[in-house]
Amino acid sequence: MATTKGQRLQFDLDDDDLKLFCEEADEQIELLDASLVQLEGDPDPDLVQQIFRAAHTLKGSSATIGHKKMANLTHAMETVLDAVRQGRKSANAEMVDALLAGLDALRELAREVVTRVDSGIATAALEADLLATLEADDPDTQSLPSAPAGAGYQFSDASVQAALAEMGQGSSCYFVEVSISPDCQLPSIRCFQVLQELDALGTTLQTWPDRDVVEAGAGEFALTAALLSRQSDEQLQAAVEVVMDVGAVHVRSVPAEALGQPMTAHRVPAAAAAPGKAQLAVVESAAPGTDGGKAPKKAAAQSVRIDVERLDGLMNLVGELVIDRTRLQQIRDQLSAVLKDANLTELTENFEETTSHLARVTDELQEQIMRSRMLPVRSVLTRLPRLVRDVATKCGKKVELLTAGEETELDRSVIEEISDPLVHILRNAVDHGIETPEERRAAGKPETGTVTVTAWNQETYIYLSVKDDGKGIDTRTLRAKVVEKGLMSRDAAEAATEEQAIQWIFMAGLSTAKTISDVSGRGVGMDIVRTNIERLNGSIMLQSTPGKGSEVIIQLPLTLATTKALMVVANSTVYAIPLVSVTEALADHEADIHSVNGLKTLRLRQRLLPMIDLANALGDSRPRSIEAGRFVVAARHGERQVAFTVDRLLGEQDVVVKSLGDLVGNRKGLTGATILGDGSLGLIVDTASLVSEQAMLATA
Amino acid sequence: MATRLDSTIEVTGQPAIEEHVVIFRLADEYYALDIQTVQEIVRMQAITSIPGSDFWVEGITNLRGRVVPVVDLRKRCGVDSGEYTAETRIVVVSSSTGMVGLIVDAVSEVMRIPGDQVEQPSAIVSVPENTYLRGIAKLEDRLVSLMDLDGVLPASAEGEFEYASAAAA
Repeated sequence: MATTKGQRLQFDLDDDDLKLFCEEADEQIELLDASLVQLEGDPDPDLVQQIFRAAHTLKGSSATIGHKKMANLTHAMETVLDAVRQGRKSANAEMVDALLAGLDALRELAREVVTRVDSGIATAALEADLLATLEADDPDTQSLPSAPAGAGYQFSDASVQAALAEMGQGSSCYFVEVSISPDCQLPSIRCFQVLQELDALGTTLQTWPDRDVVEAGAGEFALTAALLSRQSDEQLQAAVEVVMDVGAVHVRSVPAEALGQPMTAHRVPAAAAAPGKAQLAVVESAAPGTDGGKAPKKAAAQSVRIDVERLDGLMNLVGELVIDRTRLQQIRDQLSAVLKDANLTELTENFEETTSHLARVTDELQEQIMRSRMLPVRSVLTRLPRLVRDVATKCGKKVELLTAGEETELDRSVIEEISDPLVHILRNAVDHGIETPEERRAAGKPETGTVTVTAWNQETYIYLSVKDDGKGIDTRTLRAKVVEKGLMSRDAAEAATEEQAIQWIFMAGLSTAKTISDVSGRGVGMDIVRTNIERLNGSIMLQSTPGKGSEVIIQLPLTLATTKALMVVANSTVYAIPLVSVTEALADHEADIHSVNGLKTLRLRQRLLPMIDLANALGDSRPRSIEAGRFVVAARHGERQVAFTVDRLLGEQDVVVKSLGDLVGNRKGLTGATILGDGSLGLIVDTASLVSEQAMLATA
Repeated sequence: MATRLDSTIEVTGQPAIEEHVVIFRLADEYYALDIQTVQEIVRMQAITSIPGSDFWVEGITNLRGRVVPVVDLRKRCGVDSGEYTAETRIVVVSSSTGMVGLIVDAVSEVMRIPGDQVEQPSAIVSVPENTYLRGIAKLEDRLVSLMDLDGVLPASAEGEFEYASAAAA
């Protein structure tokens, strides 16, 4: 086939639709990513159903926008999954590999919709591979599923008689379910068109709603029909999909013995069938394991999709409200002093009551909006099973991944940032932590290693733990390594305790892998992971027991929008120093200050910290105020610590982080600004970069 | 440069096209900004200076919950800096680098200038660096420099940042 790579592509959707298509496609692809791996062996039927539906939804949405390649590929995947779902075929490793390969291609194809450039992916081979996994069964002569029991569509006696008579003559009986896209202006006409298409292909035995209703133009957003036809189910499907505004089509052949039993609807919910159309699609609460395909009993939807930008906008508005509230309280205090003198106590009390109520409501509102930005951590965890499978296969290891606490919620902004570090830690756990099956057997452990990822909330933090039952960290290798790399003297390396040595894993320029495998290593190590986590005002801890395994625990704030900070004044500017990095704050007359080589040094718990003027370190060149440097704030980044001198301490505060704006840019040492109670602005110190820079300067 | 300005004037200054502008004063000179770019005009308010930033960046201010960088336009345009007075205003503009406040000595008026009263700067002043002037309007009583916002404000702080930190070191 001639390559089409790089060609411009056209799709049938506008910008709004594009966003919805992408959201939906990402969601379904992620679901497949997370669950396909579990298909092997004896999977839970609910899970199979869920996977099938994801493929089916993708097929529907890609067909709606005219993405042929994607529709064809998802169709092939769906065919394979359908066979598994109906129990005609059980999934083996080959099938899962083919499905995963298809999934990778789908991801690229979905991206084409955004880039509008042909990625050059050939789907034909993938489709062939997929269908080959079924080859024992010809899809057209497949054994037919027995109709599920339960309330549903009941064939009339007349239909059953007609069907039985014809079925011997080469016709098959089909149960056809069609949904019309929810924003279709004239659903009744589309229903009628669908009916006409069906009439052209065979004999329509029965329809729901009734033929009369449809012909009278009273059809709705769905049409279900029993049809006798000599065509294949694919031909029927294709014929119906031609009709405009048709969302999902589901064709099932009905075996003779099932004719008398009621048919259960398999229709995908209309909203999901036309992702590109619904403006505010109602999303099912889709608890894992529930079969959303059956008529949803829990009234669909306790949730609504909201544009993140809109939420950010709301968040900003509430931020302003919070500031106004603070100002109002200040005005109230001033007013009440004046009004009390004027003997207007009643008025004062009323005013005070109103402002405190406003304050309570504002706090509540802020909290609620913050909550609405929270997502379950599940969306990150779903990617992990695939990753573990891939890495384990490459390293020739057997690894089982367990996850817990998927419902733990955290702010969207944190979710976006946490994914990469988590993936890195998990790769390390599989690549370096878990032993090969032989080694494990020799050590008396089960051949299959276990990696557990757990998420939980505690106070205003979220914790993520990655724990493996592998060999743990070999501190002997580590000690040799730090000496070899010149990071430490031999004496210092030997003198360190086990606990201290384990922490060296976070040192820059240290990789314990014997070779640079393509899995981890490459010089990008745990030091980068730690830097990234600390940039988010989080921290990372590591515990390890030789022979038993290791555990990495990440602690993160619930949201990046606000951060707890120590407020200080340096040269008449207010600065916020994130509390996570502050180890101590004290007045200089209490501090143990020494002069070493002409440099002021703070002795704090057996450590000597270089003392640095905060305003100078940030490049404040204005004349100094007289009260300069009366307090000391010890801050840390990793093992590095410095003591900043500041003029005044103002106390702790929750600060809302705001960008400094493009004109000012990313100024070194600052992460943003925050609005203070009096409406003026304070600057937020980037302790991570400032501490490492200053500690380096001091030792140089 | 001169040719570029020539063509700009020809295109934008087609006969009878008016310039709708906000006129403000820096020391004793008058300048004008396209009214489309001006978001609002506020009185002088508290500005937090940012250590290590360019000398003409006065700092940031809180505009109803938004953090807006503020530029001292006198310093930026090389006009002698002066004290802030009761007439000093911050002209908040929307530029390619986002919302920016410009400190000016006074805002005098909003007016329409007929296209035929606008001339290219080189006809009157010969300062090649004056990339932020896109034309000069000859009004009855005075000259008004039409300011090109993208010329006044750099597209991003990156380039200037290097310079600022080098100077600090």
